[in-house]
Amino acid sequence: MILMRENAPTDATIKVSNVTKRFGEFTAVEDLSFDVQAGRVFGFLGPNGAGKTTTIRMIVGITFPDEGSITLGGERISHKLQSRIGYLPEERGLYKKMRVLDQLRYFAALKDVPSKEIDKRIDFWLDRMQLSEWKKKKTTDLSKGMQQKIQFIATVLHDPDVLILDEPFSGLDPINVEFLMDVIDEYKSADKTIIFSTHLMSTAEKLCNDIILINKSRKVLGGSLREVKESYGQNLIAFRGSNAENILSDKALVERVVSHSDEQELHLAEGVDSQDLLKRMVAANVLVSKFEKTEPSLNDIFIERVTNA
Amino acid sequence: MRKFLAVVKHEYKKVVLKWSFLIGTILLPVLAIVVSIVPALIFSIKGEPTRIAIADSNGQVAVRLRQNLSSEKIAERVRRQARESISNISVSQDQQLQRSAQMIESAYQFVDLDTTEKSGEELRQFLLSKVTANEIDGYLIVPDNVNDPKAVFEFRSRKGGDILSGGTFKDALNSAVRSVRLAGENISEARLDQISQLVNFDAKGLDELGAEKDTDGIMIASMVIGLMIYITLAIYGQAIMGAVVEEKETRIAEILFSSARPFELMLGKLVGVGLAGLTQLGIWVASIAVVLAVAASQTELAPFLESVPKITPLMIVYFMLFFLVGFFTYAAIFALVGSMVTSLQEGGQFAFPPIMIMLAGFYFSIAVIRDPNSSLSFWVSIAPFLAPITMPVRILAETPPVWQILLALIVNAAAIAGLVWITARVYRVGMLMYGKRATIPEVWKWIRQA
Repeated sequence: MILMRENAPTDATIKVSNVTKRFGEFTAVEDLSFDVQAGRVFGFLGPNGAGKTTTIRMIVGITFPDEGSITLGGERISHKLQSRIGYLPEERGLYKKMRVLDQLRYFAALKDVPSKEIDKRIDFWLDRMQLSEWKKKKTTDLSKGMQQKIQFIATVLHDPDVLILDEPFSGLDPINVEFLMDVIDEYKSADKTIIFSTHLMSTAEKLCNDIILINKSRKVLGGSLREVKESYGQNLIAFRGSNAENILSDKALVERVVSHSDEQELHLAEGVDSQDLLKRMVAANVLVSKFEKTEPSLNDIFIERVTNA
Repeated sequence: MRKFLAVVKHEYKKVVLKWSFLIGTILLPVLAIVVSIVPALIFSIKGEPTRIAIADSNGQVAVRLRQNLSSEKIAERVRRQARESISNISVSQDQQLQRSAQMIESAYQFVDLDTTEKSGEELRQFLLSKVTANEIDGYLIVPDNVNDPKAVFEFRSRKGGDILSGGTFKDALNSAVRSVRLAGENISEARLDQISQLVNFDAKGLDELGAEKDTDGIMIASMVIGLMIYITLAIYGQAIMGAVVEEKETRIAEILFSSARPFELMLGKLVGVGLAGLTQLGIWVASIAVVLAVAASQTELAPFLESVPKITPLMIVYFMLFFLVGFFTYAAIFALVGSMVTSLQEGGQFAFPPIMIMLAGFYFSIAVIRDPNSSLSFWVSIAPFLAPITMPVRILAETPPVWQILLALIVNAAAIAGLVWITARVYRVGMLMYGKRATIPEVWKWIRQA
């Protein structure tokens, strides 16, 4: 049940400013700053141990920064603001021996959903997730995918302004992935804030408007997906053809060749224009069946920035 | 506050709506009733009377034996025994005594057989044939030389296993033979009773005001109370630990912490489970009260009730208070342990020290029962960790001055505040630590961290 705000929309912008979090000697997050705009999907990317979960926990108000500040709608994160946030952690669980209905009631009460509303909303979401007949069943009777969906319901029952999803698609079949994406879209068009953390770059690429990549506690790059890609996308060619060995091994032209199943990705050497390369290929009698200037995938950017760090 | 109440409600329902709670709550009182009432009921079932033939050549013993087995005589003998052991028989006890005497009387039926012509082996064969013909159930052969100390009284019965009435029969025979022998020596039986009467030894305990009190049953009742509190605390402490470990293991903690303050969650858990424990205790106390009330209306159980120490409503309030004190003390410790470990098995090892302290409390309560006013009893009934078990025992054994009870409550409340504070600090960090058990130095650091 996503409530479209009739009045002036509540500001759901998140501002992370110069946040540092240490655990003893270990610095988990260092001087991290970024903004998350309402009505957009924000991808929070980074390898394992980069500080993603620590940052998310600070946004949710589970832990608090040692330095810097995090605000939601201009207000510093506190326990009071928790009811405006819906958090689906990566490591998630349900009470094993409790009925679905009872668990959802408990989570809803903890999120300050008005008592009269609770059952209505639970029915709505269970119906939407096609789980109505499982309402009175215990967690142990549910399949893994069903449990995932129940957990998602627990995240959105209180109609949060901010949705934080940590690896929301793991364990879901393609139909449910589509379904979840629809819900995310709805939230987006209701001008809510969505933070989405994942390892799956292809999903991030499909879903996110803005991204931030962090590695080793620090921000590596950030901005809109467009900008990020464009800043990387000047020198990439998707190529398929034969008799090109000589040209491709010329380091003055092609710095690196990455082979995929049926095509190759050519990274041009500095100062080389794609037009020049094509001319050289034609001159060298290369049989070109595909020659396309492309953007790098988020995956490439991720790997490059993380491995070169 | 609403979130806190939601946690309390959730934890309360989680415990109370479990089968184990229902079974534990109902089974224990039922078991107590069965153990205390059923034997009395079984003994009160009347059996078929035992038909006995007495072969007594001169008839002196037989007459007296039959007299001795009349209800009046039996009742009188019990009364005399009671006088000798200095216990007062109440009116209801006396009624009961007469009733059981009548029961014993009706348990024997004497069959007259003509045995004057027979003796020795012939007599035995004759009586045995009557037994096998099912005309009698047993027989007694009174020897001719009754006055000879070595004389043998041969009693054979097909109901030889009837211990209850067998003793009575033997007593009655003894007394009959003794009276025959005394008559032979020209000594009156009444005179002999007077001379051989035991001294009147009047022993009773005194409380601190010099008032007499009945020590009967106090010891047992104190032990029962001590044991009951110990068991309940151990069970509910472990329940708390289980709940904490579950939330950590399943990572529900992450969702909970994103919804409410860790302190609210932890305190809500303690209060919820504590109320569940109080519910159970309340049901037990109420059912004990009902059982006692029912028993009081039934005279068969009057002697049993005589030994139940007087428990005032104020005492029950004290017991409940100290149960809560003990619960919060140990629940906080178990919650702390639960948030440190990664699994219930691991928690089991760490649960050992608090269980040992509880056990120490139980053992100290034995010292308290023996001497409720010693300085040892004073200190252990005030001390944190021990008082929840020792103070209720002491209150029952001999209620100390109110200031001592209040002091114990204040000292323990302060200890609980400290424990909850420590546990809250460990809880909020420990619950989000996955994969490895927290070490003691780590935990120490969490406690010191602001």
